[in-house]
Amino acid sequence: MAAQKNPEKSRCAPETLAAAPKVKVGLFSLTCCEGCIFTILDLEEKLLAALPFINIVESAALLEKPLAGSEKLDISFVEGSVITPGEEGLIKRIREKSTVLVALGACAAIAGIPGMRNALPAGMEAKIQQVKTLAVRAKASPLSDVVPVDYVLPGCSINEKEFLLFLQKILIGWKPRLEDVPVCFECKRNQDPCLLLKGELCLGPVSFAGCDAMCPGNGAQCIGCRGFTKDANFSSLDALFKEMGEGKRERYNLFTYFNQLPEALKELKGEN
Amino acid sequence: MNFTIKKEQLPSFLDVLAKKSAVFVPVEEDSGATIFAPWEGQQLFLEGRTLFSPKFLFRPSQEKIFFFRKQTGSYEISPLDDKKQKIVFGIRPCDTHALNVLDQLFEKYCDCGSDQFYTSRRKNTVLIALQCKGPCENGFCTSMGTSQPVGHDLLFIERGNDFFVTAATERGKRLLGKKFFKPAKDTAPSRKLECQNSLETKNLAQNLYSNFNHPVWKQEGDRCLSCTSCTQVCPTCYCYFIEDNFLFGSDKESERSRQLDSCQLQRFSKVAGNHVFRKSRAARLRQFVLHKLSYYQQHHGLQLCIGCGRCIAACPVDIDLTKIANEIQKDTLGVKK
Repeated sequence: MAAQKNPEKSRCAPETLAAAPKVKVGLFSLTCCEGCIFTILDLEEKLLAALPFINIVESAALLEKPLAGSEKLDISFVEGSVITPGEEGLIKRIREKSTVLVALGACAAIAGIPGMRNALPAGMEAKIQQVKTLAVRAKASPLSDVVPVDYVLPGCSINEKEFLLFLQKILIGWKPRLEDVPVCFECKRNQDPCLLLKGELCLGPVSFAGCDAMCPGNGAQCIGCRGFTKDANFSSLDALFKEMGEGKRERYNLFTYFNQLPEALKELKGEN
Repeated sequence: MNFTIKKEQLPSFLDVLAKKSAVFVPVEEDSGATIFAPWEGQQLFLEGRTLFSPKFLFRPSQEKIFFFRKQTGSYEISPLDDKKQKIVFGIRPCDTHALNVLDQLFEKYCDCGSDQFYTSRRKNTVLIALQCKGPCENGFCTSMGTSQPVGHDLLFIERGNDFFVTAATERGKRLLGKKFFKPAKDTAPSRKLECQNSLETKNLAQNLYSNFNHPVWKQEGDRCLSCTSCTQVCPTCYCYFIEDNFLFGSDKESERSRQLDSCQLQRFSKVAGNHVFRKSRAARLRQFVLHKLSYYQQHHGLQLCIGCGRCIAACPVDIDLTKIANEIQKDTLGVKK
């Protein structure tokens, strides 16, 4: 990436950046709703403000000629999970020609909604085999299961503020970090009441922050679209849900809405 | 000199104050959260302490501290001091003690002088304290000696149809216009609280510190969700981290901001090389409790915990600071709790 080759020069104010060669960016979609790319387009004038520094050279959503072939890219943003063998080949080619690969959104980061197919009830797989017209892999995978991923911007869809800060940091040669902080941190920071204390199920304590606790802040439970924190205390939260009178199936469904069932809760699986 | 004001005149009094300063009052939001919010003639929440403390008015959870801009050969820095005149109505005695502790910290113990952002907010804010009618759930201010206010400008005591008002400072007294306030003919009503929750404070700091490996830490720590609620609602939790952000297309200005942090997160004790000193939840919970009840006392001779009980009320899994401390006290002192 241009900004990284010359760290001395890159650690400076934006006006010097403007003189540096533009960073070549690609936007790609695998299996998903394309909501993350649209979040980027919805930035409107904020995205235009970034254009002096970046050049979007590949994008099916933006450009008439979406695929520029083997041209090297500085940063590739990829949304969606890997479901078909064709997508597996595509993500490998994108990885090869990109200096930095960023997984965008829940589908690319943690398999998200398409990942539900990884834990189908018995007999469902056979039914799908009867009706399917498209070759699919045995699993819906997040990008990191197939290729090495440099950065992850999770969420369904991604948080636009987080995306912009990420872009700004990487352009000046910093390494953006995703801190292991739960949603509750932002919820309480915003002085919002705790849904768990109100007797509602909420995955806030085990889910990645960065969304400004949008759902709990508006009275809706957190369903973990940004993935689980590394530090999550699953067994304690599940014990609390159980105490609140929730059945095994409800707990299983909530924990696996966006995420794969964590190892600590594997006894929830049985009945499903 | 003491005064009285009729209860129904309180909103008009606040309206008058709001003409000159920003007035903050305790309210219950539609969501059920009890917070300090700008006065807009809404229903006041006067039943007890708010779940979110007024510390957010002095130490916001997120604040921009300065903009910086590159100049030839140097940087230009524009600090963002908050110099707005504020009045906080209805701050509880325990919270006045919390501010007293933070004052010491940010004005006295700062190595680099004082924290200008905190101190300028404090200096420009008038505190109108409100005495509690009765004990609140989880609170244990009588154990911590914080049931009477400190450092306030005015004190309101609720009784019958009026408030009994005493002025503690000159700037407080100046707010008491003749239109609303009549001289009081009697003396201040006494308000002695009997908290239902309690904490055995005998040799507390030493006893907790010498029980660094007590089984209660692991027992409670294993249940902890590390959700950070306790540290966020605590009126004396002040730790923060600093972040620089560069902004596209904003005249090449960039900003430095700070945000409240929490010792319940692993990143709090993360150092170079990704080493984390407090990996286990037990160690992080112990840090919180010992900082409140032991370390601060040993270093500065002041109790950091002011007994408001908010951390207990905010915990989704019912981890109780007083239960932990009392259990250790029971084992050490042999006192039955």
